[in-house]
Amino acid sequence: MTPADIPLKPPTAGSVAIAAAEVSRGEVEQVERALIDASTRVPVLMFYTSAVVWLLIGTLLGSLTAFKSHMPDMLAGISFLTWGRIRPAHMNTMLFGWASMVGIGTSIWLMARLCRTTLRHPLLLVGGAAFWNLGVIVGLIAIFAGQSTGYQWLEFPPYAAAILFVAYSLIVSWAVLMFRFRREGHVYITQWYLLGAFLWFPWLYGATQMMLFVIPVQGVVQAAVNWWFANNFMFLWLGSIGLGTAYYMIPKVIGRPVYSYHLAAIGFWTYALFASWTGMQRLVDGPFPAWMITASIAASIFMMIPVVTMGLNHHMTMRGSFPLMRYSPTLRFTVFGAIAFTVFCVVGMVISLRSMARVVNFTEAGVAYTHLGLYAFFTMIMFGSMYYIVPRLVGREWRYGSLIKLHFWASAYGIGLMLLMLFVGGWVQGRDVDNASLAFSESTQSILPYLRGRSLSGMLLALAHLIFAFHFGMMLFGLGRHASVPTFLNPQADAKAHTGT
Amino acid sequence: MNPNTPAPEHRVRQGMDYGESEDVQNVHAAIQREKREPRAGLEPLSIWLIGVYGIAIFLGGAYLGRYGGNFSGDGLDYSVTPVAAKTGPGGPGGGQQTAELGPVERGKKVYSANCATCHQGSGLGVAGQYPPLAGSEYVLGSTRRLGMILLKGLEGPLTVKGAQYGSAVMQPWEKTLTDAKIADVLTYIRQEWGNSAGPVAPEGVAALRKEIAGHAGSFHESDLKAVPEDANLPGSGDAPATGGEPPKP
Repeated sequence: MTPADIPLKPPTAGSVAIAAAEVSRGEVEQVERALIDASTRVPVLMFYTSAVVWLLIGTLLGSLTAFKSHMPDMLAGISFLTWGRIRPAHMNTMLFGWASMVGIGTSIWLMARLCRTTLRHPLLLVGGAAFWNLGVIVGLIAIFAGQSTGYQWLEFPPYAAAILFVAYSLIVSWAVLMFRFRREGHVYITQWYLLGAFLWFPWLYGATQMMLFVIPVQGVVQAAVNWWFANNFMFLWLGSIGLGTAYYMIPKVIGRPVYSYHLAAIGFWTYALFASWTGMQRLVDGPFPAWMITASIAASIFMMIPVVTMGLNHHMTMRGSFPLMRYSPTLRFTVFGAIAFTVFCVVGMVISLRSMARVVNFTEAGVAYTHLGLYAFFTMIMFGSMYYIVPRLVGREWRYGSLIKLHFWASAYGIGLMLLMLFVGGWVQGRDVDNASLAFSESTQSILPYLRGRSLSGMLLALAHLIFAFHFGMMLFGLGRHASVPTFLNPQADAKAHTGT
Repeated sequence: MNPNTPAPEHRVRQGMDYGESEDVQNVHAAIQREKREPRAGLEPLSIWLIGVYGIAIFLGGAYLGRYGGNFSGDGLDYSVTPVAAKTGPGGPGGGQQTAELGPVERGKKVYSANCATCHQGSGLGVAGQYPPLAGSEYVLGSTRRLGMILLKGLEGPLTVKGAQYGSAVMQPWEKTLTDAKIADVLTYIRQEWGNSAGPVAPEGVAALRKEIAGHAGSFHESDLKAVPEDANLPGSGDAPATGGEPPKP
């Protein structure tokens, strides 16, 4: 039979059953995917749209932070735009506004697809997204008003965190329910990571809020709790979502199975085991029991086990398919992110070793490390997933391959330049601070050129985000070039035959 | 969506979004060309990868052992000292300090952390409230009396260097400080601020702790007076120590 004979209209389960005798399994699956995508359309697009808006706000705040680091007089007269407020505002916008919301959006779609179940009552998820936005807005206003708690990545006061909790329970109970009612017996690797992230996040955030604000622990334990949270917000929450997405997108686009189930299982469980031990290596030479820091450093050495395993698994899956990165936007962003994850963990291990940390700890290199994880790894993978998912939700193809290409290169060069500037600058800064023959003020002078370079990289990233937001807006509202063929990065006659984008 | 069919309507569709198309087929074009949902292959684990795991575990474990700082709860120092270097039954973390510091230096640390608040860094105390340690007959005299005061605390009026004290109490330290730390701090106060009396050994403190363990509450001046002026703890004497070496019991 020809594809035109598939009884898609009306696309209900009944009509599929009637035609089941003559319709192949693949065609039934297509109908099913269409139904699932339709059910996730409103909530996922709501999460994505909010995330993109937060991305732009966070980029603006981040650029201001970058400029103020070498132009301290800029906007100095306005109290809510002082460094002490604008920097936590940037970080929390990116973490809770952009990263968490885009991650949740992608997770919902992936979960629905992999569980082969439609999303029931999507309006509740829309409510969850609205509450989450409310929590971020309240938290940001509190930070700008000077009510930041002063804990890194936890600057939102407890009442904003409470709103986030309500939102989270609305969101995640739905994702877990989807898993409960899955119609697919096989539980794919991506689902392990997503379920892990969904269950780890409330534990992480709840335990931290409890230990810092409800029943506050005393003394240095506060720093331990704080860094445990910050690192595992990166690893267990965002990292799990990012890795799960990569495990879906890479084999999906190239149309080959993941190389090895066994490697994936080892990678997942060792990741879950070791990642939660890291965090305190950020306190090397701080006033802190030495063995706890050393335990975290040892854990980041043990982290090489999941990192090598996952990297190998992705590499063997991709082997022979690397040329497809020329065409598929999803694949290009996702593979970039997956490689960046390996680099992130290796760099994290190296700079946590005491001999290295003695120099670079508490310098700009720490900022570089954070951006390596949050941007080069997580954000790039999320961009990749949006390039895959959004056309399926809005029923339109991406408008211009050239805009995607520009987005990719501005992002890649922007983050590359930022990492170069901040790692080298952090090293110089650390050496100068340690040098007893130099006055402290000289170490602040020597880093200035690197901070200016960082501001330049921030401009590149801002350009990338503006392009992306513009393109995303065109997709939402159906503006620009219309097309019924997929948008590739480079025109190639046979590209379509190879990629499933 | 077959690119090989040059049908005229195909060219028309090129310029349309799926949403505008009447053709349901077109609406789901992205889904149709999609590859099937991913699966995992079953390639086995290679031997060399197990080797890599072994190396990572070995290096991480070695690092933990090398820089674990004896897993001490109060040690900021990550270096590990062999157990044999310990000179006394030090508390947790005592090991790494005994290797470098003599009892007087260690005692000074204990003193500034616990005692200097009341007795002051100068050892002169506060008039009427906290008796002085510099030149005090209790500090320079019987180490047994001194050990009793440290372990169980002191209450009530007390005469030191002819002046009356007693509006404040000395708290008991038996639960807070180890024998080694009490011995160190006693050695310190007996040799600082111009004092020159002999050191106190941890073994003596340990013996006294066991002996008076049953005594409830703090001591009073009368309890101290009941102890002979020259009753010293085992391992402590009147001769001032010449170096940082701990005395042999």
